[in-house]
Amino acid sequence: MSAILELDRASKSFGGIAAVSELSFVAGRGRVTGLMGPNGAGKTTVINLISGLLTCDSGSIKLDGAEISRSKPHDIGALGLARTYQNVRLISGLTALEQVVAGSFVKRDTSFIASFLHTPAARRRMRALRDKAMHLLERVGMAHAAGTLAETLSYGEQRRVEIARALGADPVLLLLDEPTAGMNPQESNEIGLLTHRLRDEGLSILMVEHNMKLVVDFCDSVVVVNFGRHIADGKPLDCIKDPKVQEAYFGKQRIDADGLGAIG
Amino acid sequence: MDNLSDLWATYRSTVAFAMVNAMFALSTYVVLSAGFLSFSTVVFGAMGGFVGAQMVIHGLPLAIVFIVSGLAGLLVSMVVAAVFLRLNSHWMALASLALVLITRVVVLNATTLTGGVNGLGIPMALPLDWLTGILVLTVLAFYALYHSWFGIASRVLREDPSVAACMGVDLRKVQFIAFGISGIVGGVGGAAMAMLLQYISPDTFFLGIAFTMIAATVLGGSYHWFGPVLGAAVYTALPSLMQFIVPSLQDVANGVFLLLIMVFLPRGLIDPRAMRLRRSAKGRSS
Repeated sequence: MSAILELDRASKSFGGIAAVSELSFVAGRGRVTGLMGPNGAGKTTVINLISGLLTCDSGSIKLDGAEISRSKPHDIGALGLARTYQNVRLISGLTALEQVVAGSFVKRDTSFIASFLHTPAARRRMRALRDKAMHLLERVGMAHAAGTLAETLSYGEQRRVEIARALGADPVLLLLDEPTAGMNPQESNEIGLLTHRLRDEGLSILMVEHNMKLVVDFCDSVVVVNFGRHIADGKPLDCIKDPKVQEAYFGKQRIDADGLGAIG
Repeated sequence: MDNLSDLWATYRSTVAFAMVNAMFALSTYVVLSAGFLSFSTVVFGAMGGFVGAQMVIHGLPLAIVFIVSGLAGLLVSMVVAAVFLRLNSHWMALASLALVLITRVVVLNATTLTGGVNGLGIPMALPLDWLTGILVLTVLAFYALYHSWFGIASRVLREDPSVAACMGVDLRKVQFIAFGISGIVGGVGGAAMAMLLQYISPDTFFLGIAFTMIAATVLGGSYHWFGPVLGAAVYTALPSLMQFIVPSLQDVANGVFLLLIMVFLPRGLIDPRAMRLRRSAKGRSS
């Protein structure tokens, strides 16, 4: 298995408190990798380090072989990373379709001047990207809302539009930060199925997720962190049964792993 | 017909000032639409104004005057952007205000270019067709920008800089371009202002005009290029309009009117988002 994303002893602290310390893990190409951990484990910090919104104090992060731990977010975006956000961050005032078109910014292939002058090539490219955006909305089941202001959509629908926006960049790695937060079981399951469809087309996905059922059902492998440190990785079910993981999630007292069904 | 031409004679200068103010408001708007409130348009205007005035005095053709004034504005804007883009939005607003104050001192002392305290008299009035032509060209350019990748990137950047960055938008580059456009439009506007007034002094490009351009932009709406144009028209026409309606309370009425708009239409007269929301609400109810 080749790696699409490789963290090697990545560390980040805020005013002396280590949010992520010496964290190493690998996300495989063409797989869905889950990043798990209890609240405050540092998952969001990890995601922000990977996307360049934060810079590592030390250690290295490689995306598709390229070192990105010191890169700016827009350079990392240009290298093929696209992401969604825990609390859905769509742009106010834009329709669903416009959000997705904006998401394809790195694929615009048009200079500032050509875009300003609306040259025939620039217009052709824009039309192609708009068609692609429409197609992506279809894929996430939101084609009916293409012309609707995204902020008027329901929370679950906004999440889908946000995923379509990330896909607009034709990423090599898609970061999903709690893609099913606030969704009901059926909606969550649909998001899980979507990640599998995308994976089967060759996309690599790193998913931060709280929902154990989703992780078990849809992640090919998981990494578990707590207090910014790696505590386990491997197949989802094995990880969940790991005593260290159980302790991180449920405290010292061990719960029989078979009882986990009740949690999902 | 006579009445009509009388009316035109009375309001001709109001229309001309509205058009020049529209240039300044657009110059402020383009920076605001990339996420920065900045008064530096005053400085670009001063540069374009004094350079333009000197060229007119030396008898250069109008086309050259406007092109060089725009380039002079561009030059200043690049320097300002290189220094100011390190700052966050609120500090940028304060720093640009400080720059306006500094500019006045510079203008007072650079007597060979500016005439110092005495200012410069300009021996030529601005033909209204030139002014109209320039404004139309500028508006066309803003229309094209609004629908270009720069427009898309700046809309995302203004709402959420981190999201824009993760999308691959180079924030600095977009902001630099915004400042450059602001510089060109501000410089050309400054030259137009100089010829419209036929006299400029250190006080021409000072706090008064800074207030005008911000008020016009906020009043008209800073989310669409038409906002600043409409805002400048309303803001320029307002004093004469209020004088007509409530002569004794003109200044108070002015202020009250502006306050009412800010309270009830905080995003300005032209707000594409509100229009879309209304449209979608209508679509749902029918």
